[in-house]
Amino acid sequence: MADPATSRWKSAADDRPDDLLPAVARGDEKAFGKLYDLVAPRVHGLIRRVLRDPAQAEEVTQEVLVEVWRTAARFDPARGSATAWICTIAHRRAVDRVRAEQAAADRLAFVGRAAVDIPYDEVADEVSGRLERQQVRRCLHDLTELQRQAVTLAYYQGHTYPQVAQLLGAPLPTVKTRMRDGLIRLRDCMALAS
Amino acid sequence: MTADVHSLIGAYVLDAVDDIERAAFDRHLRECPACRLEVDELREASARLAEDAWSVPPPALRGSVMDAIAATRQVSPEPAAPKRQPPARLRLLSAAAAVVVAAGGAVYAVQELRVRAEHTRVESLETLLSAPDLTVHDEPVTGGGTVTVAVSRSRDAAVITLNAATAPGDGRVYQLWTIRAAKPVPEGTLTAGETTTRQIVDGIGDATDVGVSIEPSGGSTTPTMPLAAAVHL
Repeated sequence: MADPATSRWKSAADDRPDDLLPAVARGDEKAFGKLYDLVAPRVHGLIRRVLRDPAQAEEVTQEVLVEVWRTAARFDPARGSATAWICTIAHRRAVDRVRAEQAAADRLAFVGRAAVDIPYDEVADEVSGRLERQQVRRCLHDLTELQRQAVTLAYYQGHTYPQVAQLLGAPLPTVKTRMRDGLIRLRDCMALAS
Repeated sequence: MTADVHSLIGAYVLDAVDDIERAAFDRHLRECPACRLEVDELREASARLAEDAWSVPPPALRGSVMDAIAATRQVSPEPAAPKRQPPARLRLLSAAAAVVVAAGGAVYAVQELRVRAEHTRVESLETLLSAPDLTVHDEPVTGGGTVTVAVSRSRDAAVITLNAATAPGDGRVYQLWTIRAAKPVPEGTLTAGETTTRQIVDGIGDATDVGVSIEPSGGSTTPTMPLAAAVHL
């Protein structure tokens, strides 16, 4: 993975997604390339975590990144970071795909598809936010068991809150409340650390 | 209703709501700037969870995304937010426009549903959710859960979404009703053990209420009192 990826990483490290998006919105494909290098692993990782199927994850990752390009002008920095905006699009798309599939019950159709495993880029992984990941895990660890389960079953597995309630054997209002106060606690924990 | 819709904020941020609930919450957000701020903050926190799922995509994806964007037209920016409060009439107009936009957001999810080969149903749900006069009501269900009713008089249709926490015991089932000209009309019966459903009522007419009752398996011709939930439209 030596040179091209590493050098891409180094040049990308000079920019933040928030600085790149306005240029992307003006049609700057080079800026988009840099943005891709910064956010693609996160977008792909999230989608793959939710969907599980590598081939589908790749397909949805492409859809999401093209959507970022297409709608870059609609990003409003007053409402949050570029990364959060992009992750919101990615999560929504992944979850929509899960729901459409559950309904169609056509998972079988994907079984025949070659599930090529994805080469893991260790260079990028090392450079990337190892500390940030530790912090996410630490903050998740600070939640109560029910808060953590409610948040992660929804976010990483793409379950709806009635499905989460069923999985946890907890009443619907409790699950809704735990999702909210779990997120509030995460927000406070992460704000404290950064 | 507002308080109940607001309780969905965590589920909304985590995309753990269905498209009707999302449409209801989007409406709620436009009436509540403080809630919008909370959503933005919680989204910021939930997005951090993606850091724990880092996985580098196959190298070939980069080329195919770059090719795809080269062939993809970008949208224009939304008009800048007005600095001063516009006159009341304008505000009303933009509120109406905002409802259409919210329904547009829900339509995306609905379009995904097309995969489900539920053409007729989905077509009408999509038309309904994009109605400019869509109103969304929700009420708690006895024993936990919610019933949500989205009504459009102009489309002469409604969608009833039941999300009950528990199924009625003893082989009994939930049954949906509308009240028309003071008479209950059956609108669908769930099977034993079912707690959630979405029912499109094509031809809502002048229905004044939606009710959920608990009935013997197969349903009844008149609702058994007391109702598990009642929504006044």
